[in-house]
Amino acid sequence: MSDATQVERRYRRLLAFYPKAFRREHEQEMLSVLIAGAAEGQRRPSLDEAIDLLRSAIFMRLWQMFEKLFVRPYEVRHRRLLWGFRIVWGFVLLGVAMVALSYGSWWAVWFLAGAASDFVFGYRIYQIAQRQPPT
Amino acid sequence: MQEATFLILTALAAGSQHGYGIITDVEQISKRRVRLRAGTLYTALERLRTDRLIEVDREEIVDSRLRRYYRLTPTGAERLAEEADRLRSNAHVAMSRLETSGGVATT
Repeated sequence: MSDATQVERRYRRLLAFYPKAFRREHEQEMLSVLIAGAAEGQRRPSLDEAIDLLRSAIFMRLWQMFEKLFVRPYEVRHRRLLWGFRIVWGFVLLGVAMVALSYGSWWAVWFLAGAASDFVFGYRIYQIAQRQPPT
Repeated sequence: MQEATFLILTALAAGSQHGYGIITDVEQISKRRVRLRAGTLYTALERLRTDRLIEVDREEIVDSRLRRYYRLTPTGAERLAEEADRLRSNAHVAMSRLETSGGVATT
């Protein structure tokens, strides 16, 4: 097997760690970038390169996982309407957390965490609403 | 804004470029200090695209390999200009203060 096909096969194996949807869209393109950056006769990805790809793949998988966990399908369907509710709800939880904190209750943390996730994912749904026209 | 992000946007400011083009251009802009790796580049591109600072310009097949070209959106150009302005004003203050103190602590 030639060096070129061997290095390509190894790059492909690393790219397999990315989420499927991302791979469908970017695998070919990333492969050309990786091959273009490979030295003549290089047979395997460098350690730095491999670590960088794995780190980026893990980051994207985690992000996707959180999104699946916290963003409901009906919210994506009705994103134009619903992202604002998330933000408002975030403020409600934040208010409850403040009251709980003033009483010194430890469970205020849960409300803080809830508020934070509502802000983050409310903003995310807003982004999706901006990016894709309503279907 | 992180330096890598700033450099990627700068690379796209003069016109659309594909992935490897961005890497070599960023290396040149940063005078060989920053060499982006593919994973870092595509994480950044994905984020910039979600934030609508960049968008896909066109695709080409060269030597049976896919090249996707990215370009700045108007929002992206605006953000880059703001950031460049901010950096210039900070650098300007730093330079002028160093000049008046002669570069050494006066106390």
